[in-house]
Amino acid sequence: MSAKKAKTAPAASRTRGGKAAADPAARHYAGGVVDDIMVVGVGGQGVIVAAAIIADAALLHGGLEVKLSETRGMSQRGGSVSSHIRIGATVIAPSISPGEVDYLLAFEAAEGLRLAPSVVPGGVTIVNTQQIVPPLAAQGEHSYPFDAVARLDDGSRRLTVVDGNAVAAQVGDLRVAGVVLVGALSTHLPFAVETWERAIARNVPASWLEMNRAAFAAGRGVGDA
Amino acid sequence: MDTHLMLGNEAVARGAWEAGVQVAAAYPGTPSTEIVANLAKYDGVYAEWSTNEKVGYEVAFGAAVGGVRALTAMKSAGASVAADPLISSVYTGICGGLVVIVAGDPGMSSGMTEQDDRYFGRISNMPMLEPADSQECHDFTRLAFALSETYDVPVMVRLSIQTAHQKSLVRVGERDAVARRDPGRHADKYCLLPKFSRPLHASLLARVARLRDYAEASPLTRVEPGTGAFARIGVVTSGAAYISAREALPGATFLKLGIVHPLPLEAIKRFAATVERLFVVEELEPYLEEQILAAGVAVEGKQWFSPLGELTPVRVGRGFYAAGLDLPRWAQQKAAEDDSVIPRPPVLCTGCPHRGMATAMKKLDLDVHGDIGCYDLTSLPPVSHMHAAVEMGASIPMEQGFTRAGGSKKGSLAVIGDSTFLHSGLTGLLNAVHQRTNVTVLIQDNSITAMTGGQTNPGNEKTLAGAQTKPVDLAGICRALGVEHIVTVDPYDYEACLEALKAGLACDGPAVIITNRPCMLFPRKVGADGIYEVDAELCNACQQCMKLGCPSMHHAAAVFKKRHKVDIDASTCTGCSLCAQLCTPGAIKKAGDA
Repeated sequence: MSAKKAKTAPAASRTRGGKAAADPAARHYAGGVVDDIMVVGVGGQGVIVAAAIIADAALLHGGLEVKLSETRGMSQRGGSVSSHIRIGATVIAPSISPGEVDYLLAFEAAEGLRLAPSVVPGGVTIVNTQQIVPPLAAQGEHSYPFDAVARLDDGSRRLTVVDGNAVAAQVGDLRVAGVVLVGALSTHLPFAVETWERAIARNVPASWLEMNRAAFAAGRGVGDA
Repeated sequence: MDTHLMLGNEAVARGAWEAGVQVAAAYPGTPSTEIVANLAKYDGVYAEWSTNEKVGYEVAFGAAVGGVRALTAMKSAGASVAADPLISSVYTGICGGLVVIVAGDPGMSSGMTEQDDRYFGRISNMPMLEPADSQECHDFTRLAFALSETYDVPVMVRLSIQTAHQKSLVRVGERDAVARRDPGRHADKYCLLPKFSRPLHASLLARVARLRDYAEASPLTRVEPGTGAFARIGVVTSGAAYISAREALPGATFLKLGIVHPLPLEAIKRFAATVERLFVVEELEPYLEEQILAAGVAVEGKQWFSPLGELTPVRVGRGFYAAGLDLPRWAQQKAAEDDSVIPRPPVLCTGCPHRGMATAMKKLDLDVHGDIGCYDLTSLPPVSHMHAAVEMGASIPMEQGFTRAGGSKKGSLAVIGDSTFLHSGLTGLLNAVHQRTNVTVLIQDNSITAMTGGQTNPGNEKTLAGAQTKPVDLAGICRALGVEHIVTVDPYDYEACLEALKAGLACDGPAVIITNRPCMLFPRKVGADGIYEVDAELCNACQQCMKLGCPSMHHAAAVFKKRHKVDIDASTCTGCSLCAQLCTPGAIKKAGDA
């Protein structure tokens, strides 16, 4: 959450007063606070589905405004992909401004390193240890930062490192690694576990639901640690 | 109330459906594709992927003239393709409502230029609405159909990529029952002969004048009072720029324009009189600014807000800060990302059927006149071998002109995809044949409109609506156009690619080479033909395979003579076999054959 933005954003007009005491989200988003969440990775990693789950969790919680914007262009072709999710009582712009990311969820280590400067001081960075080396690295002009996680772990930020693939493999399939990372993020947001599970159910095939729920729970454990 | 999180484009489709639209026709183009793709999912709508934007426009126009509500959608470049009917149909007017969606791309996320489509309103006099979020995409599209019928004119809804591709909440409604109107028969309305056109132009000006009165009083011309320190700052804005300006300067007083042609200049003058300082915040050209200045109102705009690229909140905020407003949030330019991290641009997919020909053209060092398609990625590393890629259908006429200019020593050719060839390549090829110019044309037929996400085209067996249809015979078309040298080649056979190119270039007369492998993504085929693996013992790190730029090929940890050996990612290899064909030591083999 960004205290800085609370000063300029309009007052939270849609929060029902009577609910405020009981609803942790009403407290969390009081005074115009907006959560700026950025999910980044490589085309094909499931960034878009993860963003949809996060947005749906906020929507299913109710009483909140959610806006989203995604990488445009040819992201399907193995390029960098990012998705912005903004949650608050009132949200104006669908995209996050530079330096104002409250939660960075990086599906790939080098992409985490790339977007790290956009995180607000005191913001949370959750990085997956997976490394995807782009074909350009073979051309000699650029080298892939194999030390990306170590460079992120320089003591200057709130960092959670997740071996999403290992956790997903344990749960049963590499393809649920994205939901492991959503689980790690979920402990920072004021939504109930059952709300998250409903959001997951909306965005994954029914036959994969159980494994995704297990992946979410495992990720949540990492996020708590 | 039924509320959904929707893309701007999904909301346009929903609004059109609710307005009773019956016919939707478009050629796919980022950022407009999702509109007709979504309309195709609704009951009661005939939706098609037309062969190009002009055809799509004319199908929708014909439906509107025929008495039903119709929609067409296009990207900026598509509006230029459709400009002829776009301008003419404003003269004739319609019978059923016609709504034209034009989605621009400030910032050029995928577009070729960032043209300011608002000028289509001025050049054609087509009224233009500009929504700012998904709710407005929905509401304005519904309204546009009503305005179209009230004022007997097609109505444009202009989107920016930011509006088209953001998701925000939409309260949806139900579909209106709209009966077909009697189209009658009206030569004086629909035959643009001078006798009829002259009075139609006068009628158009009268219709626009009435629309200007509507815009002056419309709820779409909305004043939002400010609060606090910036309440006396006035901002005139519309569309995506409105969202950015509200985020950047929330306390200001806004005049939010929903109708940007014709402009409600009286409302703007009244608004100007209520504020101390007046800004115009608009993306790209000073479209509003110049009209407001011409109306005698002093306003600040482009001296603070760049005409280049997307106007994001930070760029608007920085503009206000530069203009002297005390805005701590925007006082510093902050880094969005670390540019020193290895770039990760889009690349041709693993197994892409364009890769073999791209590598062969590079090997022969040919001058390549490309067109609009995924093969444009070969103008970037690692292939870096394409001379021109400008607009739809340009490849063949440009190659003809290049040949007339003297050509090049090693040879040149045109490269075009199946969908683009059918969009606007045919006439260029016909011209080259008729002019007896010795062109070589490579049609990379991947049997889909791939770059926009896999839409159908006349090369397919099914239409967007799912109807069975007859796929077009590309070789047959070329033969009918007068080409005698036509060769079909498997782009996964590298030697065959080289031979086909050499034969085409050597041919005395126009030559067409057609590749015959479908796109790897639509439908997705992973490991379809059995995958390949590297025998690390045999690999001598020669790097020949790495020239392919295949995303599934990586450097292994092992090193031979100071160069990395290679490795193939088994989970993504599709088995196209090109790397094995290039492997001189024979280290790359079909998995299991070792």
